[in-house]
Amino acid sequence: MSEVTVTPPETEAPPTPAPRRPRNWLKIAGVTLFLVLLVLFPVFTGTDVAYLKAGQYVLIGVVGAVGLTMLVGQAGQLSLATPFFLLVGAVSYAVLAGDSGDSGDLVGLGLPPVVAAVGAVVICGLVGLAFAPVSGRLRGIYLGVASLSLVFLGLYLGQSLDMLSGGTSTGRPPPTFAIFDFRFANTEPAPTILGVAVQKQQRLWYLFLVLAIGAYLLARGAVRSRIGRAWRAVRDNEAAATAMGVHVTRVKAGAFTISSAYAGLAGVMTALWLDLVKPDENEFVGTYSITVAIGYLAMVIIGGLGSIPGAVAGAVLVNGLPQLLTLGATEFGWFADARFGGPSPVLISAFVYGVAVVLVVMFEPGGLAAIGRRLAHVRAARPTRGGDRG
Amino acid sequence: MTAAPAEIREDVRTLAVDDVTLRFGGITALSEVSFAVRPGTVHALIGPNGAGKSSCFNVISGLYRPTSGRVRLGDTDLTGTSPHRLAALGVGRSFQNIALSPHSTVRDNVLLGRHALTRGGFFSGGLRLPRTVRTERRHVARVEEICAFLGVDDRLDVPVGALPYGVAKRVDIARALAVEPTLLLLDEPAAGLNATETAEMGVTIRDLRDALGISVLLVEHDMGLVMGIADRVSVLDFGRLIADGSPAEVQADPEVIRAYLGTGGEEPE
Repeated sequence: MSEVTVTPPETEAPPTPAPRRPRNWLKIAGVTLFLVLLVLFPVFTGTDVAYLKAGQYVLIGVVGAVGLTMLVGQAGQLSLATPFFLLVGAVSYAVLAGDSGDSGDLVGLGLPPVVAAVGAVVICGLVGLAFAPVSGRLRGIYLGVASLSLVFLGLYLGQSLDMLSGGTSTGRPPPTFAIFDFRFANTEPAPTILGVAVQKQQRLWYLFLVLAIGAYLLARGAVRSRIGRAWRAVRDNEAAATAMGVHVTRVKAGAFTISSAYAGLAGVMTALWLDLVKPDENEFVGTYSITVAIGYLAMVIIGGLGSIPGAVAGAVLVNGLPQLLTLGATEFGWFADARFGGPSPVLISAFVYGVAVVLVVMFEPGGLAAIGRRLAHVRAARPTRGGDRG
Repeated sequence: MTAAPAEIREDVRTLAVDDVTLRFGGITALSEVSFAVRPGTVHALIGPNGAGKSSCFNVISGLYRPTSGRVRLGDTDLTGTSPHRLAALGVGRSFQNIALSPHSTVRDNVLLGRHALTRGGFFSGGLRLPRTVRTERRHVARVEEICAFLGVDDRLDVPVGALPYGVAKRVDIARALAVEPTLLLLDEPAAGLNATETAEMGVTIRDLRDALGISVLLVEHDMGLVMGIADRVSVLDFGRLIADGSPAEVQADPEVIRAYLGTGGEEPE
């Protein structure tokens, strides 16, 4: 062994990564089918954009939840600040891309939308980095509470800085997103896919789909790589991480920065989805409220802390269910008595994911991700190797 | 007692603990302690409970800053170095209570040891650039080699939390070796092991020293292990170095015997 001590071995021979499972082709086929369905989703929904909007909302949740599960599950930093970064992202996009409004009382830099979107994500990352002195020192529930204070800060700033946010009464419209000359708006004539016109909502769906897939792949790669190992090391034992050469404070700050940038992207998407940037009037109900913070936390817990695919599943449940129930309400007349104090879609879905969180914590702390892994293992039994020790 | 390996690597340098004093408020944990770990030796640091072994270990690994005195590795002064830089300087360390990530696999845990030898942050990892993947493959191959050396290569895909204690202990040492250290610090490598496992651990420590030609400094309670594998033993008592020599010399030293067994004068009447 001494000949290979300092330099890594010369052997370029197959370094045997994780043993390849025979179900690989099946997985590829499944993923392909799933992607085809997502791409064709606007064809199924046709001219009725309600389902499309519900789908877009799920994709926003995917981006935010993937960012949050890296922070909470991988790097071990509890954060309830997601709504704050959603707000910062949405407002930053509106400010960077927008104009000064009809009465000239808004701040708007009029940058190209792509530049503004990237700028908003960067701003959120930097704001998250600025929180590093706090996030690096606190742990667990203490960090959770400290990060929650950002939600209140966002509420206050959103209400008081109305030259940026547009104020609680009217808000401000975010500029239409555009990539060079291709505008994400209704146009005549519009391109078609299988006879369905690709108009504003269809375009936004594809935009969100690309962003969500990109965010997902980037996160998966990061979690598997050097930075992901550093996150887990910091989460599990800071002294050991340090001894292995990990700069703990830097890694913690980096994780918060990246997670904030993800939330910022979700914020930009939220602004485009609502077609409105408007700060909340109170801290409990609204687009950037505590309820949303809890919702995002529920996504990552239900999905299984730290699991990227799990975060996607959690986002589908937590963001998708209320949308689906609302659609059912309008289409089939469910919850007709909601306005008289009966159950509303939002209330019912809050109960459903509340129960899901309790069930996960009690029976399967690994969340949906662990259930998925178990199902996969039933198909392909784990490679059994004879152990000779202990 | 085998002799030190025939060829001593040039990059393996002497660790010199030089006149180190460590005080916490009014308590003196270490008092003017000096000893040297010579290249390629297995050096043991022993002493009764509360003698200052762990404090000394933590000073060397940079977790505590001595009140006075220095720790040097070759020409490098470790005293003022931040602890996370030690890995890059060739200091690997294992922990008394296994400090691994229980949910991560053995391979993943040991790969962490390559942190200081690799580069790349969120984007290079996230994008899975061909270069990143190629480098990673090389490091994975090396990690599997190290695991094979420690006899844990049959569990590479097993989460550490599912391993028996003795095996996890070896994974911890594998991770310390993945740093490619020239100085390996082992904090009670036999703690919690049964007699067979302790004997195996002793053989492993000798083997890895012989194979790699590195220096090993271990803090240990198990006298059998220490006397069996150490080339040199330093004994601490009440923060002072009371003996420093070969195992035979140390065992015969009256002050060491007094420290371990007590003297007649201390016994109650």
